[in-house]
Amino acid sequence: MNFPGAGTPGANPGFNPNDPNVKWLTNAMESCYAKTAMSGVAGFGLGGLFGMFMASMAYDTPYHTAGATNTPVSSLPWKQQLKVGFKDMGSRSWSTAKNFGMVGALFSGIECGIEGLRAKNDMGNGVAAGCLTGAILARNGGPQAAAVGCAGFAAFSAAIDAWMRMPKEED
Amino acid sequence: MSLFGFGARQPTSAEKIASVENELKVIAEMHTRMVKICSLKCIDKTYREGELSKGEAVCLDRCSAKFFEAHSKISDQLQQQTAAQGGGGFGGM
Repeated sequence: MNFPGAGTPGANPGFNPNDPNVKWLTNAMESCYAKTAMSGVAGFGLGGLFGMFMASMAYDTPYHTAGATNTPVSSLPWKQQLKVGFKDMGSRSWSTAKNFGMVGALFSGIECGIEGLRAKNDMGNGVAAGCLTGAILARNGGPQAAAVGCAGFAAFSAAIDAWMRMPKEED
Repeated sequence: MSLFGFGARQPTSAEKIASVENELKVIAEMHTRMVKICSLKCIDKTYREGELSKGEAVCLDRCSAKFFEAHSKISDQLQQQTAAQGGGGFGGM
């Protein structure tokens, strides 16, 4: 796939940008599917880290353990405490990882689709994608919850987009 | 581009040379115009980054496809008109 040295002289050896395979790969990486997948994976990773962090802060109640029936955690032997703690951390971080991954994939996929349809690159794509994502995430709560989710996520997305599109200050 | 005729295998007449040069000029001008018009329409002027975003790439695809199609339809019409009027020769596009 790579032809070292066969491109423009002085280019990175092994990466000829006119190679049709390289062009195909670059195009594929910019397609909506690849963007969705990458956002999903990134969201999954971030959600896992976030869940692990949050799990370490949830030991304020003695009965808040999975699997321990009525014994508070602090009364179990040391090894058992660790095992319960790690299991809880794992399950919590897995669930937040799944949630964040789904949110990331949904938002990224919808935004890429809307941008591809409109053929424009402005803030409306992010706002519309945020509204749809929020509505889909809150669909189980009924139409009002979906509307609130739409408005909230759209506002969040608009704020982040506005911040990212601020012109850089020239020195 | 390629050399025309001097010392080549086939002898080419001056008219053929002129028509091919003309066609090349037409194509080059069409290309220049297309690039100018489509980048005016499709590319955002704030230039926040150096790569084309997805919306801009889709817009450029559609713009160039429409430009080609419009150009070829109009050329066909023009050819029909000039053929109907009895003009012709090598004025093809």
